[in-house]
Amino acid sequence: MSAAPENLPRPLTPGMPPPVLPMADAAPAIPFLEIEALRAQQFIPAAKEALGAMIAEQGRDRLTRPVFNWAGRNSLFPLHWGLACCAIEFAAAFGARWDAERFGVVPRSSPRQCDLMIVNGTVTWKVAHKLVTLYEQMPEPKWVIAMGNCATGGGPFRTAYSVVPGVDKLVPVDLYIAGCPPRPEAMLDGILKLEQLIRERKE
Amino acid sequence: MAAEEWAQELARHLGDRMISLTPFARTLGRVKFRPEAAREIFRAVHDDLGFDHLSMVGGIDWVDRREVIYTLWSDRRVAYLFLSADLVGEAPHIETASAVWPGANWHERETWELVGIQFDHHPDLRHLLMPDGYAFNPLLRSFKLHEPEELEVKTRHV
Repeated sequence: MSAAPENLPRPLTPGMPPPVLPMADAAPAIPFLEIEALRAQQFIPAAKEALGAMIAEQGRDRLTRPVFNWAGRNSLFPLHWGLACCAIEFAAAFGARWDAERFGVVPRSSPRQCDLMIVNGTVTWKVAHKLVTLYEQMPEPKWVIAMGNCATGGGPFRTAYSVVPGVDKLVPVDLYIAGCPPRPEAMLDGILKLEQLIRERKE
Repeated sequence: MAAEEWAQELARHLGDRMISLTPFARTLGRVKFRPEAAREIFRAVHDDLGFDHLSMVGGIDWVDRREVIYTLWSDRRVAYLFLSADLVGEAPHIETASAVWPGANWHERETWELVGIQFDHHPDLRHLLMPDGYAFNPLLRSFKLHEPEELEVKTRHV
């Protein structure tokens, strides 16, 4: 009894002929690809020349910024922290019911990985310089959302002796969300509006 | 313990360092003592009378004077006791209780920054709730509500 050679195809079912393999040297010429190759030979130098002229005229950012804006607005990484009761709504927005990860929003624990700071709660003078330190540790480009009345303007504690009357006294704020606290829908709406801001960003 | 027995025991241990004993609801009363004798009072109350737990240190601003209040608990007697002392003058100060009850440390830091009472020989007297360099004692009655911008300028530290 002799074993069948390993390199030969075996029949799938007994009695059926083995499948026919395509021959390697029998690939037919495709005229379409040849035409495309000829076109590319003419197009690529012309495209290089046009792009070079555009970069020399308008700068490299004119070409790269839309790409970065597109990537940035679709993957906003907020800092994962909480200051007060707004943090409960912030956390609920990433739960099963609202699921902010649909929009590419994933909270990160390190400010080095973030490009969005959502100030969710009352900022006291004691914690103010820690907030500024976290903001300065985030890499550019970065955005700040003031979530809730306390972060926007101090809220009911505006005249208190220990509360910062609005986080815009400390860091530049791009978007304010009203509410005490705002519901997760409002926070998601704010994030989508921030994406619109990034889309329209010029400089 | 009857009120008279308790008053006699207090007078036996505290002597003339105690000014008055005022009945206070659901406690053994409020003992007002001379602030100069604070160290001996704390020692006597802790060692002789057996109040080994200090629940709270607080301060009150009575405009003409400031009062510092200690809430003590004794497991042996199963009873509370209030100690208080009147501090007069522009710079009120009293001996620290953290040498007898170490838990008084943070309570005295809080009383110092909010009511402005200086605690002598405190091991680490610095701000607890407010940032370093905060310029006010916010729980004094002379503290007015500031406009946010004014408070911001005076407390800016970042």
